Amino acid sequence: MQESGVYITLAGWAIFHLLVFPGGLFALGIGLFLKGADRKLEARLQRRVGPPLYQPFLDLIKLSGKEAMIPASAQRLLFRIAPLLGFTGMAVCAALLPVPGVYAGLPDMGDMLVYFYLLPLPAVALILAGSSSSSPFGALGFSREMTVMFAYEIPLLLVILAVALHVGGGRGAEFSLGRIVEHQLEHGQLGFNWELIPAFLAYLFFLPGTMGVPPFDIPEAETEIIEGPLLEYSGAALAFFQMAGAIKTVVVLGFGVALFFPGTLPGGPLVNILWFLGKCLALMFLTMTLVKAATGRFRVDQAFAFYLRYPTALAAVSLILVLARL
Amino acid sequence: MNTTQTCEQKSFTLPIGPVHVALEEPMYFRLELDGERVRHVDITSGHVHRGMEALAAKRNFFQNVVLTERVCSLCSNSHPLTYCMAVETLTGIKVPPRAQYLRVMAEEIKRIASNLFNVGIMAHVIGYKSLFMHVMEVRELMQDIKEYIFGNRMDLAANCIGGVKYDMDEELREYADKNLEQVAMHLREIIDIYRHDPMIRARTQGVGVLPVLEAERLGLVGPVARGSGIRLDVRRDAPYAAYADLDFQVITESGGDVHARAMVRLREAGEGIGIVRQILRKLPEGERSAPLQHVPAGEAVARSEAPRGELFYYLRSDGSDVPLRLKWRVPSYMNWEALPVMMKDCAVADVTLIVNSIDPCVSCTER
Repeated sequence: MQESGVYITLAGWAIFHLLVFPGGLFALGIGLFLKGADRKLEARLQRRVGPPLYQPFLDLIKLSGKEAMIPASAQRLLFRIAPLLGFTGMAVCAALLPVPGVYAGLPDMGDMLVYFYLLPLPAVALILAGSSSSSPFGALGFSREMTVMFAYEIPLLLVILAVALHVGGGRGAEFSLGRIVEHQLEHGQLGFNWELIPAFLAYLFFLPGTMGVPPFDIPEAETEIIEGPLLEYSGAALAFFQMAGAIKTVVVLGFGVALFFPGTLPGGPLVNILWFLGKCLALMFLTMTLVKAATGRFRVDQAFAFYLRYPTALAAVSLILVLARL
Repeated sequence: MNTTQTCEQKSFTLPIGPVHVALEEPMYFRLELDGERVRHVDITSGHVHRGMEALAAKRNFFQNVVLTERVCSLCSNSHPLTYCMAVETLTGIKVPPRAQYLRVMAEEIKRIASNLFNVGIMAHVIGYKSLFMHVMEVRELMQDIKEYIFGNRMDLAANCIGGVKYDMDEELREYADKNLEQVAMHLREIIDIYRHDPMIRARTQGVGVLPVLEAERLGLVGPVARGSGIRLDVRRDAPYAAYADLDFQVITESGGDVHARAMVRLREAGEGIGIVRQILRKLPEGERSAPLQHVPAGEAVARSEAPRGELFYYLRSDGSDVPLRLKWRVPSYMNWEALPVMMKDCAVADVTLIVNSIDPCVSCTER
């Protein structure tokens, strides 16, 4: 009897983590705020005024009230499922995300390999959307997304391996994100460790690719294939893609914070939530806003060659350094 | 058309246009694709045909100055200028020197703004939003000059039969000089960015190559021909207005690609600034326009160098106040024949970039 009570409590907490904090409402709120900040900062860099900080919230509210059209020739089921797939994948990721000093992640569930499999879900959702929409632009976007995805997943895998082996320290690899954060709180942050600095740089390169911001906004290139897979989406379905994007921003930035800079400040949870937010904002400004403002768009072959060259090499250097010390 | 299995299919069709973000005006490209490679291009046009040549034969000679100014927005000074030149040739009106200089000034101010607009759009097409904003901000200085001198941002209404409608005084001269100084400063920076920025070069060099022989075979004109190394410029080859008295270079580049065409336009904007400054210095005193005369029966032609290349006007009159026939040939008419050559086996990503690189003026061509 008591045991089932424990399970009910655990399940209750899991649902809380999924829907309220750090997944669900919290991640969505922060994600939309980050997106608003990104637009505002980019506008200021280009000497424009830019939209108000809460513009992404308004966009969502407006979209949710619009009619969702489905093209007559689309594969209806797949077309409807695709946005939900990306959104749920990111919601789960966010629920497992440790917020250092506040929340350590779900015990024995916040595994980096889970992240490795769940992180591409929004991209997979785009691929499904592109292939089910029956639009030639969707089809082009779909093939581009596949190519770019393969290119940026390789450095990510190498980064994860380097960190896991380093934290494992000869006892094998440590994949639990919660324990990686704990390890760093005791032994110092990995972002200051010279062996892992190349891996951190590789992760910085991974961020604009996975978020699809210039120069890697190839699958959705507006002036080439007019948003590609998203072209046929409207209303609430499009809103789900946007929400998935917002949560994904928090997830990939928070993942980077957890891997390399999970340091905490003395003070209550509120201070540490703000500290976490500040680190996410700084990371976003560095890898998305600045990069977006300073570059154009690569062709898909150029982006592929770029990822196979620099970030992969950097991550490999870290992996070799870690392996050499073991 | 089932496109869900396009990846497995040998080739499929991609429509670009008639309405597309990267096209400023409607044009329809039907691309046969093989993966990301373009194998065949079909161009369909005619979406903005307004029957303006027929309209021109229903209006009198003065009304047609206003009509031709509205053929298109970016060459809106070249059309009335060339039309007026044709009427003046037919009637034998001698345009006073001051008017000739002022005509060149209006023409070059429009050229600088038009060229900046095109290279700005090029940055937008490759997703380089900051550079687009930067170039458009500089173009805005040119728009200010237009507004200050002519009272309008696009249609300057500078020309009339026999001369010009506007005049320069000391205040306008100082204002134009001050703004041009700033534009020249920014332009040097922009040219440096376009020449050296790795992203711009990666996307534009070697893309949409047009060999010299092809350019000659297709009879191309303007910056597209000059980008392939052909020294062709009506301002130099058959000087009109005051161009014979002014000092300027005919800009050519040898690359023949999208990058070379953009560089030609940017450097031409620099030459344009030089020309306007010369005019500000040595503008002769005198009348702004010659008295009007009766237009006799007969025919006449006139040509000028519009921002996109040679603009040609043919005029026939039967002695009444309405032209019997007014016909014009615009540079984009020849230049878009080069698109299939430039797009041969290019990537889909480069299609809109290549279209932008010939700076097509669809409303001129289809009028």
